[in-house]
Amino acid sequence: MNLIRAPLRTLSRTKLYWGLALICLIGALLSPVTSSGANIFLSYQNLTDVLRQVSITGLVATGMTIVILLGGIDLSVGSVMGCSSVICAMLLTRPGWTPAAMMGVPAATISIALAVGFLARFVFNGLARGRDVDAGRRRVIVLGPWRGFRIPALLGLAAGAAAAAFAASQVPTKFGVLAVLLVTPCFALTLGAINGALIVEGRLQPFIATLAMMVSALGIGRLTGGQDFAVIPVYTGTNATEAFDVLRSMVWGLVPMPSIFFLLAIITFGAILRFTTFGRYVYAIGGNVEAAKLSGVKVKQVQFAAYVISCMLAGLAGVLFVAQYRQGKPDAGSGLELDAIAAVVIGGTSLMGGRGGLAGTFVGVLIFGLLSDILQLQNIDSNVQLLMKGLIIVGTVLVQEQNLGQLLSRWRGAPSALAPARAGSVEPARPLDAAKASTVREDIHEKT
Amino acid sequence: MHEAGNALAASNARRTPGAAKSPRESGGGVLEASGVSKSFGGIAALVGVDFDLKAGEVHALVGENGAGKSTLMKILAGVHVDYDGGVRLMGAPVKFAGVQDAERAGVAIIHQELDLVPELTAADNIFLGREPLIAGMIVDRRRIARAADRLLRRLGIEIDPLSRVAELRVGEQQLVEIAKALSLDARILMMDEPTSALSSSECETLFKVVRQLAAAGVAIIFTSHRIDEVVALAGRVTVLRDGRRVLTAPIQGLTRNAIISAMVGRNLVATHRETVEAKGQPVLSVRNLTLDTVGVRGWRRVLEGVSFDLRRGEILGIGGLLGSGRTEILESIFGAARGWRSGQILIDGEPAVINSPTDACRLGIALVTEDRKARGLLLASTVRDNAALPSVGALSRFGIRGFAREAALADDMVERLSVRCSDIDQIVSTLSGGNQQKVVIGKWLATEPQVLLLDEPTRGIDVGAKQEIYQLAFALASRGLGIIVVSSEMPELLLLSDRVLVMCEGRQTGVLTRAEATQEEIMRLAAPGLGQRAAGGAA
Repeated sequence: MNLIRAPLRTLSRTKLYWGLALICLIGALLSPVTSSGANIFLSYQNLTDVLRQVSITGLVATGMTIVILLGGIDLSVGSVMGCSSVICAMLLTRPGWTPAAMMGVPAATISIALAVGFLARFVFNGLARGRDVDAGRRRVIVLGPWRGFRIPALLGLAAGAAAAAFAASQVPTKFGVLAVLLVTPCFALTLGAINGALIVEGRLQPFIATLAMMVSALGIGRLTGGQDFAVIPVYTGTNATEAFDVLRSMVWGLVPMPSIFFLLAIITFGAILRFTTFGRYVYAIGGNVEAAKLSGVKVKQVQFAAYVISCMLAGLAGVLFVAQYRQGKPDAGSGLELDAIAAVVIGGTSLMGGRGGLAGTFVGVLIFGLLSDILQLQNIDSNVQLLMKGLIIVGTVLVQEQNLGQLLSRWRGAPSALAPARAGSVEPARPLDAAKASTVREDIHEKT
Repeated sequence: MHEAGNALAASNARRTPGAAKSPRESGGGVLEASGVSKSFGGIAALVGVDFDLKAGEVHALVGENGAGKSTLMKILAGVHVDYDGGVRLMGAPVKFAGVQDAERAGVAIIHQELDLVPELTAADNIFLGREPLIAGMIVDRRRIARAADRLLRRLGIEIDPLSRVAELRVGEQQLVEIAKALSLDARILMMDEPTSALSSSECETLFKVVRQLAAAGVAIIFTSHRIDEVVALAGRVTVLRDGRRVLTAPIQGLTRNAIISAMVGRNLVATHRETVEAKGQPVLSVRNLTLDTVGVRGWRRVLEGVSFDLRRGEILGIGGLLGSGRTEILESIFGAARGWRSGQILIDGEPAVINSPTDACRLGIALVTEDRKARGLLLASTVRDNAALPSVGALSRFGIRGFAREAALADDMVERLSVRCSDIDQIVSTLSGGNQQKVVIGKWLATEPQVLLLDEPTRGIDVGAKQEIYQLAFALASRGLGIIVVSSEMPELLLLSDRVLVMCEGRQTGVLTRAEATQEEIMRLAAPGLGQRAAGGAA
């Protein structure tokens, strides 16, 4: 029995990756070939294109994963991304104190000052606590001057001033690449801070607070863009700096620049979730807010940080959008939040929070990207693509949440054979489902 | 639509096929199980258990956690449908296809976690899913209210059927559940831990209703961890141990200790500890603690003028009825109380600012909550993660977790508290209640607290584990911790406490030394009506 069960369990644990492999296989088999007989789907060009296309959704999904792990939801990211693209495009193409500069520069100043201040405090605390631990003492007794308020505050002010000077120096001319990369996410981060404050201090439900921000950010984007609601075109070399093209180029001719951002975000935040106390607290709060709060976890701070991170990544996605599509438009991200949520859910992260991770999200994003690539190569109508997306979401979630086994057994009229095991275990993976998972995926693909 | 409330009278009017003679006449079993076995994923929960229930009897089912009480009950009530062995109802073999099927046959179960909809009225809850209709479409609310009223009155329960369930106390909710089961014409009623959340007076009301039902011919099975209750209420008792039946006997002729030793398979002696002379400075002082919360009916004063001292090495018990403000004292000290708090808290004689649990943790205060599943544990996480949660920050450097230190902490806890688990990576929801409780206590001990607040530390855990928790509390106190224990179980309170502070309706009505503290004295101070007198002297 164990001889069969152990491999099945491994198969089941890794079923997401098998799904990805399956999609690649189907893509390769169905792919058209060039006149010289090469497989187009498997060509390096095609695969890097897929990676490029998923980068924007991927960045947003990364932030969304953290928020969802926490047991929340962030509906505002699509609008924030669109709004950020407008800000970014305006900074790039128009000199002087445009609305974008007037919002962006203070936002950058304040966020950088606060970020550096808190980071300094954190590092000094860590240094001193390290000493305490070595000395065998747990509780902090003496607060050195470095761990107090003043020195971190001074450092923060200095950094804020530097950021302000740098950003302001760009205002008379047009903004450069670095300045845009700094100011735009900072602007988005401010919107995230509003989300966080409403949820944490205002005790609004995340759904409602971010829904309000979703609507408002669209309005901010349109107001900033001007009365015509139109797109702001960005022509590098003519109305914007040519250097901006670097954000859509290939790095060493190997990897597209946007994908680098995406991969870096996945790795960085993956490591943060895995190795830091912040990550632990995210899972703990998602698992049981009450227990986390009563264990002394600073629930409010962690929640706040998650919403800030989510919007910051959406802002970064906005910059990449401008680079990719050479324009900024307020409704650039309509529906993006739902794509991101779908990718997170496909990746096995529970909407109830506390379970899942970024590895799953990465695969979820890729599954979406590869799917639309395959359908495009087949010249299939884009509306069919939407339908397929829906099917994929339902299919994978059915498999993951073990609902399938339950459904099937109910149809057979017998009690679920899995039921007792499920009651005793919270493990997401069950052997039987792995086999069913692949059948479902095959079913879906046969229909194409 | 059958008439509500005729359940009491209906015990003789059976509809079950095969019930040729009334079991009351025969005195035979209304429900019999023979050789029932059940296993979960390869682990046997019940092994060949025989059981029989007579009409009109109250039958207690006792055993340690994991002994199979709930499993047996769930099989009899149709919750578990795949099992080995046979069940006979009125002498005819039955195999329920589910809970509804069992209910149709007159067998109802009330789970430990009540299945009521909090936002609906008591009457609506009783008839949920079976509402009488006008013209087949419109819910006849008048009739529901009238029927519910009649039912409740016949049971002798004073509950307004039109009050929302959320506004009722737990004990009243329990009675609504019973009314609901009876409106289904239940002739066999099973209750899983009906008293675990009830105060003494609420228990009395429940017992009264149960006895009345039994007299009317309803057969009742209940489980309980409180042996005194079993002795007081049951006619017969069945003891299960490790999934096997150890004993079925009339309660007469059984002593409390005989039941306990049958449960645990060994003799347990409750160990008192020498009262330690309270020594030195108080580690925790509470001065004039007052708490107001916003409830359904506006502002409400939950605590008023509570003052006491807790010295190192002392165990202070807090007694009182449910809702008298016991839990709120602990939550106020821990910074976790909802509402507006005033008064002073001193740690080691220094005024302390505690506005959040984070502050409390930093000052070396730990709170083990009443409801470990909802508020104490990350149920889906491992023993290791739960044990390390309050210490994650202290064990980290620059925000990077110290995995090795966390594992060492968890290993240490498992060993010191003898938590029974396969390894520290076992998911905590798969542990037994007692071991879960040890994990909750253990995670706090790892933070090296000075003050330990225990809220109902042995609720829902078995007798053996209870003893271990008591021993642990004594050991910690002798190591110099100050401990405050809140408990609804009088013997537990008397056993653990060096002094007992008694609460009544948010005021402290007295502080008793161990010599003064008796069950009667505590009850006298805890009963409402006396609380208006001048509050007892502060410690």
